[in-house]
Amino acid sequence: MLSALIWIPVVGAACIGFIPMQGNRARSLALAIATGMIIWTLVLLSQFDISLAGMQFSELLPWIDTLGLSYSLGADGLSIPLVALAGVLTWIAIYSSSENITRPRLYYALLLLIYAGVVGGFLAQNLLLFVLFYEVELIPFYLLIAIWGGTAKRGYAAMKFLIYTAVSGILILAGFLGITWLTGSSSFDYNAIATQGLPLQAQLILLTILLVGFGIKIPLVPLHTWLPDAYTEASPPVAIMLGGILAKLGTYGIIRFGLGLFPETWAIVAPGLAIIGAISAVYGAVTAIAQKDIKRMVAYSSIGHMGYVMLAAAAATELSTVGAVAQMVAHGLILAILFNLIGVVEAKVGTRELDVLNGLMSPIRGLPYISALLVMGGMASAGIPGMTGFIAEFLVLQGSYARFPLPTLVCVLCTGLTAVYFVILLNRTCFGKLDNKTAYYPVVTWSEKVPALVLTALILFLGIQPTWLVRWSETTTTAMVASVRVNTTQQIAIKN
Amino acid sequence: MDLANLATQLNAGTILPESIVLVTLMVVLIGDLIVGRSSSRWVAYAAIAGLLGSIIALYFQWDIVNPIAFLGGFNGDDLSIVFRGIIALSAAVTILMSITYIEKSGTALPEFLVILLTATMGGMFLSGANELVMIFISLESLSISSYLLTGYTKRDPRSNEAALKYLLIGASSTAVFLYGVSLLYGLSGGQTELSAIATGIVQANAGQSLGLAISLVFVIAGIGFKISAAPFHQWTPDVYEGAPTPVIAFLSVGSKAAGFALAIRLLSTAFPLLSSEWKFVFTALAVLSMILGNVVALAQTSMKRMLAYSSIAQAGFVMIGLIAGTEAGYASMVFYLLVYLFMNLGGFCCVVLFSLRTGTDQISEYSGLYQKDPLLTLCLSICLLSLGGIPPLAGFFGKIYLFWAGWQAGQYGLVLLGLVTTVVSIYYYIRVVRMMVVKEPQEMSDVVKNYPEINWTLSGMRPLQVGIVLSLIATSLAGILSNPLFTLANNSIANTAILQPIIISSAGAQSFAPTPKTPPAVSLTDRN
Repeated sequence: MLSALIWIPVVGAACIGFIPMQGNRARSLALAIATGMIIWTLVLLSQFDISLAGMQFSELLPWIDTLGLSYSLGADGLSIPLVALAGVLTWIAIYSSSENITRPRLYYALLLLIYAGVVGGFLAQNLLLFVLFYEVELIPFYLLIAIWGGTAKRGYAAMKFLIYTAVSGILILAGFLGITWLTGSSSFDYNAIATQGLPLQAQLILLTILLVGFGIKIPLVPLHTWLPDAYTEASPPVAIMLGGILAKLGTYGIIRFGLGLFPETWAIVAPGLAIIGAISAVYGAVTAIAQKDIKRMVAYSSIGHMGYVMLAAAAATELSTVGAVAQMVAHGLILAILFNLIGVVEAKVGTRELDVLNGLMSPIRGLPYISALLVMGGMASAGIPGMTGFIAEFLVLQGSYARFPLPTLVCVLCTGLTAVYFVILLNRTCFGKLDNKTAYYPVVTWSEKVPALVLTALILFLGIQPTWLVRWSETTTTAMVASVRVNTTQQIAIKN
Repeated sequence: MDLANLATQLNAGTILPESIVLVTLMVVLIGDLIVGRSSSRWVAYAAIAGLLGSIIALYFQWDIVNPIAFLGGFNGDDLSIVFRGIIALSAAVTILMSITYIEKSGTALPEFLVILLTATMGGMFLSGANELVMIFISLESLSISSYLLTGYTKRDPRSNEAALKYLLIGASSTAVFLYGVSLLYGLSGGQTELSAIATGIVQANAGQSLGLAISLVFVIAGIGFKISAAPFHQWTPDVYEGAPTPVIAFLSVGSKAAGFALAIRLLSTAFPLLSSEWKFVFTALAVLSMILGNVVALAQTSMKRMLAYSSIAQAGFVMIGLIAGTEAGYASMVFYLLVYLFMNLGGFCCVVLFSLRTGTDQISEYSGLYQKDPLLTLCLSICLLSLGGIPPLAGFFGKIYLFWAGWQAGQYGLVLLGLVTTVVSIYYYIRVVRMMVVKEPQEMSDVVKNYPEINWTLSGMRPLQVGIVLSLIATSLAGILSNPLFTLANNSIANTAILQPIIISSAGAQSFAPTPKTPPAVSLTDRN
C-alpha cells in the first residue's frame, strides 16, 4: 500500500520526462498523480489504527543483503501526518505552477520525483534506505532552484543548497554507519538496532553527528545560512516544496533517529537542544524584522518556527512531542500559504520590496482577496487562536514548560516577535495607499486563488477542530517518549 | 615426467578466453593485410564478437576445479575471472566508441584494434598471472601497447607528447617494479611463483629484512603507476588530454582494473608478512589520491583533464577496499570496478560523441546542450552524477559498499575522508551538468549553436549509440538491481583460494599489530 505512494509518482515522472507531450498535458498528468496520491493518503488515513503505537502497513522486501539494505517501509503516527502534508503541498505546488513555464516536462517530473523521495524518507524503516531517499532529493532540488529560480543569484543559491545538503547527507550516512557497526548489527533495519549497549561517549558522538546532519536540513541556527538564499531564489512552488516538505525531513529525522535511537542519551543533549531551539526562534524572529524583502522575511520566520519543533523534541514529554508533529504540519501549511500568496503578489505587482509595496487591500484596483488571505496567513503564523498555528505552538509550549522553563519563555516571547514582523509586513503591503502611477495590476483569476483557499480552509479547520491534527500521532509519540522518561528518572536516581 | 602428466600440469584450457582474444587479434591483423582498407567495415565487429566470446568462455570457467595452469604460472581462479571479464568488457565498449573516432582521425582502424586487443590480452593475463616473470611479461605487453595507443594519432603533437611522457614514466616505473621483483626472487632463495615466494622468504628468515621492505616499496611504485595513485599519477592528466579519447577510456577502466588485480594478487600472496606495512603505504596513497584528485579536478576547464583527475580520485576510493583487506573489502573493490566500468565508459562515450560533433572538449562549450542533444545530455549527466555517488545510481551503491567495508574494518578516518571528498566531487561533476542542463538557450556556446544535425545512420555512429544507451541503462539500473552483481563480487572473493588466509586472519585479528601468519599451503609440491 505504501509502495504506491513512492512508485506511482516515480513512474509518472518517467512518463512525463520521456514521452513527448505538450506542457499542458504534462501539467495535467502531474496534477492527476498528485490528486491520486492525496486520495490514496486519505484511504490510508481511514485505515490507520490510531490506537497502535507500532508500524502499520509494513512492507518488507529483501534487497541487498550484503549491505544490510532492505526495502522496508512502514507508517506510524509520526510519519503518516507528514505523508499527508507532503501530498497536499505537492498538489499545491503543481497546481500553483505557472501555466507557461519553460521546459514543463522536466519541471513536473522533478516535482513528482521530490514527492516520491520525501515520502520514501518518511516511510523508510531501514537506515540506508532513508539515506537513499534523503539524497535523492539533492539533484532535483538543485535543478529546480538553478533553472526556474528568481534572479541571477539562483546559481549561487542552488549550489549553496547542494553543498550544504550533501554535507548533511554525508554526516547522516557516517552516523548511520557508525551506529550500525558499533552496535554489531548486520543490517540497517530500524528495528534491528539498539544503541543501549554502547558506551556513553560513543552514543554522544553519534548523536551529535546526526544532530548536525539533520540540523543543516531543518535548519538550526548556526547551520542555516543556505536557507535564506535558497528560499528566496526558488520560485514559489519550489519554495513550498523546500520549506514545507524538505525541512520536515530534517525534524522528522531528529525525532525518529535522534530521539528514537538514543533515548538514553537524549536527556543529556536535550538542554543544549532546547537552548539552540530557543536561539533559533529568537534569531529567526529578530532577523525577519530587519528584512526588506517579504519572501526573505517569511524564510527567516521559517527558521524561527522550526526552533519550536526543536524545543519540543528536546523536551520529549508526551504533550510536547505531539506538539512537535503538530507544529511540523502547521508550519508546512502556513509556510505554503504565505509563499503562495507572496508568489501571486510578486507576479501581479512585480516586486517584493516592502518599501515599494503599498495599499494592496484596496478593493478595486488592489488585490483585496489576496491581501485578506495574506492577513489570515500572517495571523496563523503568529499564533493567533482559532488557527492551526496556535494549537501547535500552544501544545509545544505547554509540553515543554515543565522541562525547560526558560527556553520556553523565550519562545513565548518569540511568538510575540513573530506578530511584530507580520504586522510590519501586513502594514506595509496591505494597508496604506496605492501608488497611482504603478497601480494597474493584472486581475487575479479564480484558479490562482484556489491553492490559498484550500490551505486557508485546512488551517482554519485544523485550528477549530485540532483533534484531527493530533489524533494520529498521540499513541506513537507517547510510546516513543516513554523510553526516554524512564531512563532519565533512572539517571537522576543514580546521580542522587 | 611423462606426456599425460605434462598435459595436466599445463592445463591449457584455463587460458581459453585469452586464446579467443588472440585468435581474434590474428584475424583482424591478417584480414587487414589481405583485404586492405575495406576491411575496416567488419574488423571492429569481429573484434567485439571475439571479446564477447571470450567473456562467454570466462563464464564457463567460473568455479573451475583446477585453476592452476602452466606449471603454476597462471591461476584461473574466480578473482582472475572477474577481472579478466572487466578488462574484456571495457575493451569491447572501447571498440564501440573508437570506430568513428579513429576513422575520422585518418588512421587505420585494424591496426588500432590489434594494439588494443594486445593490451586487453596483456591485462587479462596480468589478472591471473601467478609468477614473477609472467607478471612482468603481461604487464609489459599491456604497457607497451598502451604507449602505442596513446601516440596513435601521430599527426597530433599533443598525442605525441603524451605518448613520450607516458613511455618515459611508464618504462622507468616498470624498471623500478622489475627491480623490486628481482629482489623478491633473491630474498626467497630463487622462487618465482607467488605462493612459493612467501614460503621461501619464511624459510630464508627474511621476513623482517630491509630487503623485503625495499622490494615492497618498489613493487608498489609499479602498481601505483598503473592505478594512477597519487604521487605516481603525474602522467594521468597529460596523457588523458593528449591521447585519443577511446584510448583513455580503456586506460581508465581496463588498465586500472589490471593494476588492481595485480595489487590484490601480488600483495596478498607474496607479501603476507608485511601486510600492515603495505596497508600503511596504500593508506597514504589513498589519502593523497582522494584529496589531490578531487581538489585539483575542481579547477579544470577541459573535460578530459577533469575526468583524468576524477579517475585519480576514484582510484583513491577503490583503495579503501584494498586497505580494509577483508572479504567485504575485496568484494567492494570488485563491485566498484564493475560499476565504474559502466559509468566511466558511458561518460567517455559522451565525450567522444561531443568532440566528434563539435571538435572540442572544453567544459564551457557544453553550455546549453540539452536543447540540441538530449540523449547525450541525459547519458553524460547520469554517468557523472553516478561517479559523484548520487542515489539511486550505480555509483551510490558502489561507494556505500566501499565505505561500509572500510568502516567494518575500522578504517574510520579513510571512510570519513572519502565521504568529505565525495562532497567535493559532487561539486565538479554537477558543474558539467549545470553547463548542459541549467543554462538558458541564450547562454548557449557557439559550438552548440552550430551543432550539427543528429544523424545516427552515418558509419560507425550506431555502435557509439549502442555504447551510450547500454552504459546509460547499466548506470541507472545496476544500483537498484545490483543483487546479481553483489553476488558475483562476493563469490569471486569467497571462492578464491589465495585470499582465504588473509581474510581469515584479518577477520580474526582486529588489532593492527602484525600477527604472525602462516603462509598459504602450496598444493603443487609434486611439481618437481
